[in-house]
Amino acid sequence: MKAYSIVRRLIVVMLVVELLAAVVVSGLALEHERHERFQAFDVMLRGRADSLLGSVQQAGDEADTVMLDGTEARLPKDDLYLVSAQDGKVLGRSANWTGEEAQRALSHPESGRGPRHHNGGTYFPVEVAGVPYVMVRVEGVRMVDPGEKGGGIARRVTIMYGSPIGRVWREVREEVEFYAWMSVGVMVLTALLMVWLLRRGLAPLRELAEEASMVSVRSWEFTPSERVTATKELRPLALALGDVLEGLKESFLQRDRFVSDAAHELKTGVAVVKSSLQLLTMRERTAAEYVSGLERTQVDCERMEAIVGKMLLLARAEHTEEKAGERATNGVAVASVVHGVVDELAPMAEARGVPVVLDMDEGVMVAAEAEELRLVCANLTQNAIQHSAAGAEVRIVVRRLVDDVEMRVEDHGSGVAADDLPHVFERFYRGDPSRSRHTGGTGLGLAICKAIVVRLGGSIAMESVVGEGTKVTVRVPVWQG
Amino acid sequence: MRILLVEDEVRLAENVATALREGPGFAVDHAGDGLTGVDLAGNGCYDAVILDLMLPGLDGLGILRRMRGQSDGTPVLILTARSEPASIITLLNAGADDYLTKPFDLGELIARVKALVRRGKGVAHPELRVGDLRMNTLEQTVRRGEREIELSPTEYRVLEYLMHRPRVIVSKKELLEHLYDYNWEHHSNVIEAHLSNLRKKLDGAEKVPSIETLRGRGYRLILDQEPVR
Repeated sequence: MKAYSIVRRLIVVMLVVELLAAVVVSGLALEHERHERFQAFDVMLRGRADSLLGSVQQAGDEADTVMLDGTEARLPKDDLYLVSAQDGKVLGRSANWTGEEAQRALSHPESGRGPRHHNGGTYFPVEVAGVPYVMVRVEGVRMVDPGEKGGGIARRVTIMYGSPIGRVWREVREEVEFYAWMSVGVMVLTALLMVWLLRRGLAPLRELAEEASMVSVRSWEFTPSERVTATKELRPLALALGDVLEGLKESFLQRDRFVSDAAHELKTGVAVVKSSLQLLTMRERTAAEYVSGLERTQVDCERMEAIVGKMLLLARAEHTEEKAGERATNGVAVASVVHGVVDELAPMAEARGVPVVLDMDEGVMVAAEAEELRLVCANLTQNAIQHSAAGAEVRIVVRRLVDDVEMRVEDHGSGVAADDLPHVFERFYRGDPSRSRHTGGTGLGLAICKAIVVRLGGSIAMESVVGEGTKVTVRVPVWQG
Repeated sequence: MRILLVEDEVRLAENVATALREGPGFAVDHAGDGLTGVDLAGNGCYDAVILDLMLPGLDGLGILRRMRGQSDGTPVLILTARSEPASIITLLNAGADDYLTKPFDLGELIARVKALVRRGKGVAHPELRVGDLRMNTLEQTVRRGEREIELSPTEYRVLEYLMHRPRVIVSKKELLEHLYDYNWEHHSNVIEAHLSNLRKKLDGAEKVPSIETLRGRGYRLILDQEPVR
């Protein structure tokens, strides 16, 4: 795909608009100029024709005729004129007009293209020797002997006067050319100005892009500059970007932590097994020593197996957690699952002297697979038993709420420190790692519970007071089969 | 020699401690968390410290920094599950002398700890020589001149410690501290018997006594010839 530049596009649009404006303005100017100039031209023609009329004088002969007094010679050389008396006698004409052409123009004034009548004259275009002229025909009256009684004799004369039209056109063209060049100049100027202004105006955008391009998996630092956050259009983008990056960073770090913790757990597990075996082979031992050594190694192996098993369980639970919408298609009776778990854990509870008390609404069903619910219940109950002193009872409460089923596992054990509470559901998080190791904890149990509960569309929360006990509350949607 | 082992994984700690006791015959103290570890290290009676990196309370790096901050020059070996260079560089720069990544080889761990103990005492070779007395710490054999000397494990350990510190007066308390783990006081009475036996075995027919007893001050390994190292 071709690179798309906002700056270039804006400038091009701007220039096209300006060009259109220039064309329209030039067109209007041309029209206006032409009209004005021709108006002035007509007036000038008329004026010259009138001055020609002024040069018609009494000839002073018997017939009381008129003649030109010679002042007509002062008129411009490239103009045409013809003065004729009422009897058709030509009183005078300009030298650059042949008599024949002049006569034709005189006799057929109306035959020319588009004669116009105004200012008391008739205007029409004529072409003489290839040069376009505009002519005016004016009828005038010259009084002969105005001192005599009766006011003298009126002699009518016809005056034709023409001037080359090319000069007017040239002037109009020059005027329009001037406008056009001005427009081009303004366009160049605005283009340069636009480039500069856009560069300046888009600087925050460029800064934001630069900031964003610095972000990578290794460096999550994203701090939009003051100028970016102060820009109204960019602020939401910068904030959204910051939020997304923060979330990504968090999830990356968590994943990193998980991998690192998992590696630590597994490597430690392998180290235990390996060192147990190497210890056995370090020197000759008795058969009884070998047997007890191998038995210990087997226990080490089993612990490692448990860790691997839980990791896989967690990975699976979290994997399906991501596939939201794929809800459980089965209902399961909570009471039967809890009874099963309590039976299973009875030897452990007995060994530790911890009574497990049940308080359940019977017949409550939740939307879950039995195995999932069993895992959650077993993990929580086992934790409660392990963290309780002998004689302290563990309560499992199951209640039907409106749309949910609530399962609470309460103990009166050692409790969890307030600092650790927000982290208890994180993978491999152990409030007191040494104790957890003694009890065989992997730091994965609660993470598995959370992954499963979230997958079921429920919630899990822990409340705890050090020295008083811990209460874990699980809510799962009720089964509406 | 007495080693401090700080490791929260109980089974791993058991195995390492047993291996160190059975192999080179070191006394081993075990701490299960960082705070206990840093407390014990503060006693200053260890010939080497083995630190796990991930510990509850205070991590291995924290213990190391605190030790080095108190000018404790005891050799430190770090056990770590992380093998990336950045982490190792940080460790070594913080004052660690050596490291092993989990899962490690028990034999290698023992060899490295022995090397660290030697280095800590300014000795480079596993065969120690003081005068005509020679001790091979790999085979755990002792010879004086051409004569091979049979020693009990405790006698061997007493001599090993003294040979690492020739011509230095070693108090009875120091000897006890470095030979036994935290319950060394129970051994207080037997150490004299061990020393007496050791002296008899070493000197045999020789005229020059090898181990001097300085009343109220301690013991000194002294041989007429310059030690060759």
